[in-house]
Amino acid sequence: MSSLLIHQFYAEVAPWAGLALLFIGRNPHPGLRRKIAAVLLAVFVLFIIPIGGWSIAAWLRVLEPNPSVTLTLLLLIALTSRLAGQAWFRRQDWNAAWFFGAVATLVLYPMGLGLTGIDPYSWGWGPVLPLIVTTAATLLLLRGNRFGVILLFPFAGWVLGIQESTNFWNTLADPFYGAVSLILTAILLIRRCSSLTSGTVVID
Amino acid sequence: MPVALRALLIVILWVLCWVGIRSLPSDLPHRFAETSSPQEKAVSPVFLTEAINPDQGLPMVHVAALAQTPDGILHCVWYGGTAECRPDVKIYFSQREPGGRWTHPVTIMTRDQAEKDLDRPVQGLGNALLIADSDGTLRLLFVTIAMGKWSGSQLNSCVSKDGGFTWSRAEHLTLSPFFNFSELVRNRAVPLHDGGWCVPIYQEFLGKFAELLWLSKDGVWRKSRIAGGCSVFQPSLVPTGEESALVLLRDYTTARKIQLSSTYDGGREWSPASLTTLPNPDAGISGLPLGNNRILVAYNDSTKDRSDLSLALSRDGGGSWSRLVSLLHEEGASFAYPYLFRTSDGMIHLAYTWKSRELRLITFNEAWLNDQAAHSLDP
Repeated sequence: MSSLLIHQFYAEVAPWAGLALLFIGRNPHPGLRRKIAAVLLAVFVLFIIPIGGWSIAAWLRVLEPNPSVTLTLLLLIALTSRLAGQAWFRRQDWNAAWFFGAVATLVLYPMGLGLTGIDPYSWGWGPVLPLIVTTAATLLLLRGNRFGVILLFPFAGWVLGIQESTNFWNTLADPFYGAVSLILTAILLIRRCSSLTSGTVVID
Repeated sequence: MPVALRALLIVILWVLCWVGIRSLPSDLPHRFAETSSPQEKAVSPVFLTEAINPDQGLPMVHVAALAQTPDGILHCVWYGGTAECRPDVKIYFSQREPGGRWTHPVTIMTRDQAEKDLDRPVQGLGNALLIADSDGTLRLLFVTIAMGKWSGSQLNSCVSKDGGFTWSRAEHLTLSPFFNFSELVRNRAVPLHDGGWCVPIYQEFLGKFAELLWLSKDGVWRKSRIAGGCSVFQPSLVPTGEESALVLLRDYTTARKIQLSSTYDGGREWSPASLTTLPNPDAGISGLPLGNNRILVAYNDSTKDRSDLSLALSRDGGGSWSRLVSLLHEEGASFAYPYLFRTSDGMIHLAYTWKSRELRLITFNEAWLNDQAAHSLDP
């Protein structure tokens, strides 16, 4: 399989998983296996239907040819959790995922898009960013946080070259993961603040 | 999670990190090779003008870029179509042998070809830049527009091993974190000591700012930033030593003056952009090192429009500038996007967009420049 095909196949996994999640719904009935399989297949077929001469997957590649490995894995975890009816990720694991995404987004995008003379995106071609992420993932794993396991995979994707991009940042974060992370982290922080002011305790 | 599993995962993590870091290419060299000027053959003043694409018949042509292969052939690329960012815009190529004429323009990249090469829809094509390696390989960097206008542009690369007759499949360069928007190329690339190139590029998305693309001989690329913000872009890189250079910057502020930033460590750190005395109507500029701390710049000598195309010279490495000559002046006309290039025979070439309908070339030498300096507009 050529690297081009690998890049294209990989780039389709995240949108497929995302759309499948939407179609399947929050609590799919375990007895409806045929229906679920049909939905997953329908989403896949939808992606290869040509619109304006190009498949939807190709149109999605125009927007984001490098969905992050982190987002792809989180979507697959959410999808398989719903299908299996079992939560692979606990609340603290999800919170770590959103917090990590929010921090990455705040570090990467404002400055990466020119807010200052510093370009954090260029760190993705050097050793410092991978070392920082490895340290963060080690701390998460030491605490038993399962998001630390997810952070293994951006490294694997980077080493194997599954993305069109050669920049390590692209395996870690993308604008979709960033936007969701920022929103959910903000909600989490607001909830915590309001619970602190009201004197109630939120247990994650 | 059992402790043993955690320990195993941590070991795997660090091994992966180590493998990834080991596979990183060594730091690209930051030493500019273009520090001396070729010796001129002609000693008497030379000044020639010609059209690169006479009678091409397109409503709009723009952004000429020149390169010379070791066999002495001068190559030119530009884009043309009905208007900027339109789907019918194509990238054209022409070449001129020493003493010869420009060949009839041929199309080297279309929207369809770019879509086929990149395997995704492309809305249109834009600026192109040509680089000639020492082995005669031509490298084309060109803009594809993914969506919208210039803010949705992306950079791509392909090469020709046969002097521009056939081109390799285009490769997409991922250079920006946000949907890879929006990287553009416009000014001359500068050779590096190891055979690589330093290409001035810029972003035009939320901000407008200047960057450098470092291309190694074996195709690895890196990017570094000159300045952030939304005030200067379209850098023209002028090396003044192996590790020193300055960039002349198109002004996007109300100052309406060419801005300048300099480096003394091979482009790692840049001084804050400062205003020169030369006007700039938010238009493209081009600089060229002439040796002995002299820098030539082609620019629109106006704060309002592009109706005047002029040359100015700095004799102190960009510290001060004197206007040399107004090459073209016509009220209401546009003489845009100058591109200065020096060939191996020492001749200086200035390509520019003539009234959006033609690419024209002015060729002169230092003897002619010295004549102009003697009758300089500025004392």
